[in-house]
Amino acid sequence: MNDSGQNNSVLVIGAGIAGVEASSLLAKSGRQVYLVEKNSYIGGNVIKLEDAFPSMECVGCIMAPKLEEVVDNKNIVLLRLSQVEAVSGSPGSFSVKIKKRAGYVDMESCISCGACFDPCPVEVDNEFEERLSKRKAIYIPCTGALPAVPIVDIENCLRFKGQECQACQEACAFEAIDFNQQDEEIEIQVGAIIVATGFKSFDPSGISRYGYKKSDNVYSAMEIERICASNGPTQGQIVLKNCQQPKSMAIIHCVGRDEKGYCSSVCCMASLKIAHFVKHKLPEVKITQFYTDLCIPGKTYQRFYQEAKEGGVDFIRATVAEVSQSGNGLNIRYKSEDGKENTLTVDMVILNPALEPAADSAKLAQILGISQGENGFFSEKEPDLTSVVTAREGIFIAGCAQNPKDIAETIADAEAASGRVLALRR
Amino acid sequence: MANKIGIYVCECGTNIAEKVDVEKVIAALSPVKDVAFVDRYKLLCSGDGQKYLRQSIEEHGLTHVVVAACSPKQHEITFMNVCEQAGLNPQLCQLVNIREQCAWVTPDGAQATEKATRLIMAGVNRVSYHAALEKREVDCNPDVLVVGGGIAGIKAANVLAASDRKVYLVEKDGSLGGKVKDFRTLFTNMDSGSKLVEEEIKNLQENGNVEVFIESEVEQILGFLGNFEVTLRTKAQNGQLKFSVGAVVLATGSEPLDASKLPQYGYGKLDNVYTSLEFEEMNSPDAPGGGKIVLKNGKRPESVAIIHCVGREEKGYCSKVCCLYSLKFDRILKSQLPQVKISHLYFDLCIPGKAYQKFYEDTKKLGAEFVRSAKTEVASNKERLTIKYETETGKKGDLPVDMVILLPAMEPSSDVRKFSEMFSLQQDEKGFFAEEHELLSPVASAVEGVFVVGCAQGPKSIAESIVQAEAAAGKILSALVPGRKLQLEVRTSEISETFCTGCKTCIDVCPYGAINFDEGKRISIVNEVLCHGCGVCAAACPSGAARVKNFAFEQIYQEVEALLK
Amino acid sequence: MVEGFTPRLVGFLCNWCTYAAADLAGTAKLEIPWSLSVIRVMCSGRVDPVLAATALLRGADGVLVAGCHPGDCHYREGNYYARRRFALLEKTLETLGLESERLMLAWISATEGQRFADVTNGFANKIKQMGPSPIKKKVAL
Repeated sequence: MNDSGQNNSVLVIGAGIAGVEASSLLAKSGRQVYLVEKNSYIGGNVIKLEDAFPSMECVGCIMAPKLEEVVDNKNIVLLRLSQVEAVSGSPGSFSVKIKKRAGYVDMESCISCGACFDPCPVEVDNEFEERLSKRKAIYIPCTGALPAVPIVDIENCLRFKGQECQACQEACAFEAIDFNQQDEEIEIQVGAIIVATGFKSFDPSGISRYGYKKSDNVYSAMEIERICASNGPTQGQIVLKNCQQPKSMAIIHCVGRDEKGYCSSVCCMASLKIAHFVKHKLPEVKITQFYTDLCIPGKTYQRFYQEAKEGGVDFIRATVAEVSQSGNGLNIRYKSEDGKENTLTVDMVILNPALEPAADSAKLAQILGISQGENGFFSEKEPDLTSVVTAREGIFIAGCAQNPKDIAETIADAEAASGRVLALRR
Repeated sequence: MANKIGIYVCECGTNIAEKVDVEKVIAALSPVKDVAFVDRYKLLCSGDGQKYLRQSIEEHGLTHVVVAACSPKQHEITFMNVCEQAGLNPQLCQLVNIREQCAWVTPDGAQATEKATRLIMAGVNRVSYHAALEKREVDCNPDVLVVGGGIAGIKAANVLAASDRKVYLVEKDGSLGGKVKDFRTLFTNMDSGSKLVEEEIKNLQENGNVEVFIESEVEQILGFLGNFEVTLRTKAQNGQLKFSVGAVVLATGSEPLDASKLPQYGYGKLDNVYTSLEFEEMNSPDAPGGGKIVLKNGKRPESVAIIHCVGREEKGYCSKVCCLYSLKFDRILKSQLPQVKISHLYFDLCIPGKAYQKFYEDTKKLGAEFVRSAKTEVASNKERLTIKYETETGKKGDLPVDMVILLPAMEPSSDVRKFSEMFSLQQDEKGFFAEEHELLSPVASAVEGVFVVGCAQGPKSIAESIVQAEAAAGKILSALVPGRKLQLEVRTSEISETFCTGCKTCIDVCPYGAINFDEGKRISIVNEVLCHGCGVCAAACPSGAARVKNFAFEQIYQEVEALLK
Repeated sequence: MVEGFTPRLVGFLCNWCTYAAADLAGTAKLEIPWSLSVIRVMCSGRVDPVLAATALLRGADGVLVAGCHPGDCHYREGNYYARRRFALLEKTLETLGLESERLMLAWISATEGQRFADVTNGFANKIKQMGPSPIKKKVAL
């Protein structure tokens, strides 16, 4: 509480890179931060990536100190498995109700040894790994995920289906697994709120012509990111479904652009990044990119594109009419701008889909009393002038929750939102 | 006083104890010289464990502590805090990793035990050579200097001032507002740029914390984060003004590429070929024509060509905002001249973001033609102009028009060079200010306390410039808090006056510019405020004068010695 | 290959990348050569060639210096200096009568736990093949 009775604590919704950056900056200035994250892990979408464009830096390396800081920082209360249910009050004194789901593992006792995983008899698809590998019902999403304390998946755990099973508890030497844990309703008072709920990828299975989930070896960009990841389902080995290395691949841009009605800003660069990565790992692979307009603004992105081109990546300006199975390969039927039709056969197709607002954005907008634009992203107060300020005083937005953008822009948003919070008239 | 080293071996439940024979380890370590006490504990990081550790340190009057447990990346801070609470300098605590890097990776118990013993011995040797470094703080000035009174500079000043910081806003021109004040309309709301600037300036004036200097330039800035000394050359004061600040924001903007350097566009040679800025000027209500769009001969144009990417190939980057503001030009043209024929000559349409595709589609409906051209030239055609273009597939075409608007690349302003030299700031290869880290730190420069925002850092829109300005403000508000001292890195480098030969090798290799040369004494001196403790200087120093506190050669050597016994 | 010979290896690992990778290898319960002793440094650029040489002269059969991939250094450029210095040190080793292969410089990022295991095991095997350091016979320290 400060002199004028205003609360100095801040609620940050979403522990992706924007939420983490804002939390760190606010905590550094002495504010108490409540960082609410719906998943069991922090880092959002960014930690799923192996490398980031255009520097091709290892994402895990650059994120690790930031994520560790959030977990260690005394000024940051991390509430994972949590979601905001209600907000009342006014700027300077918001009352927030948070529902915290039980993880069934005690965060203090667990030392993250992982002894509970093997004995668990249940195996299901791992969502973090884009369902390319399995996990147990007691799990952490991937090696290195933070916090490193596992959670129990109550939809698949046998105990929650009424069956007797003690396997994980018996394996735990610290008695850290506690099935008596309950979901909690937490109420906090904060002075300001930053919404940093990020994005999700458009699901290409809605567009049948791309063959996604119909033909083998048609992958979405997120799936490929996990395949490329050194801590992913294939330990970074780029392989086809039959475990062979691909000899050729096509990357299709703008998947879902027409349907969504906007350009998602980062996908051209993400496509180039995949090309750079693959060329580095498998220099003999023939890569072709299908696009209509190349969106590579800014001082370093064009060079990234030129390097890909000089490295032998083909760029075909065309719209893709169909991707279909053709023997062991995939046949791409496309039409160039001059109207000429053509086909290309490749081993693997990667679809780069649009970025959408995170699930539950509509619900959150309602709870917070902020508006969404027609594309579902949270609206800024003055389009094209402010990005982080909403029409509701004391509530700010940052990162892809506001508009699809790259990492640098997301960090700038988070810092700007923090700056705005720190500058709120006290 | 003799050392009294305490060794605590954490069993980590069964994680360490199931592989490492803790009793054997204790037996091997107990007789070692200076080891006063050795014990085991089931889970040292637990609440009880920490309490036990603290009591034990106090009880035994230990001078040094070695904890053999998990990775220091997990619990180094935890155990250092316990030592501090027990009255022991936290630098005299060493955490040895016998879990992730021993018990968990060595299947054979006997080997794991030997390895644990070896590693702990190295820790014991090392810590006895540690210095009890004290935490250090330094006063800082929370005031801020903002260079550049464009939209980014004004916005940064506003956010900082709203937080009661004193801000000095310096502008070299005769008025605030930079380029934006001259924009008749802004995309996408088509509101006026001057109106936006006026509102922001009003905020500035209402806030008593901002001192504005127009027609003034920065002459010199010396110092470092928290303590910069600024010298200003001002018109008003008719001379010099000096003051101190804690941070500097460089918001010096950009300039359009000089289109006359590209003869194929006929700029400066042919009539009715304008740059976008000139078109904005023509459009302004303050212009001689009152904002009317006219050709040189006073007639109204019936057809206009807008040429994108002017200078893109030469500069090697896309300037991000031109496709978008060209759409704004369409709307301006159509509102004045509903029958005008507009043709865009472009290569890639850059319209990223949730709202811009709709803006484009709605604008197109007003009646503009978009021609994808790989090569565009402007030629004279009697009284008119002809656009000669060539598509990607080689198809050639001619387009007769009355007026041409060129969209030139955005270049860094000349101020970048000036300030780069002043601060030893880096310019990136395109000549803009280089940010500290392209992904993680877009508004900080490599010099701590100096921030680079807006188009000075790279081509961007107004909204993005504003975000960057607010971001710099956020970083400054967080780092420099009135009354709060700056905490300095403890394990910094220090250079022995005796051994320094003045070769300056360390100065060359320091990534943070944290080493200065004392001309009088002819030696290098570390600025401990800026030093990050990476040790590159220590490794480079030919005379061994540079050493990193508690990561010094002799300390690391002790580990090596113990490991190879 | 010398029978019954376990190479004594010293590894200087940078705190931000390789040390984290080594921890990750531990979390994944991979096998790492037990005779490898790790010394944590803040940056691979901190590793004075004299330090590495001293380790070899003190009887280490192999010395590994590992840090962040070029371009990823937490302190911006430290690893570039490490690279240059070690290129030079390798040449110097030969004059001391040591095989330059006893010194290894590697770039291992924080997520490359498996790679850490592969690199260290590979190194240990190679040194095992080469036999004990000739220094132990020649130099009495």
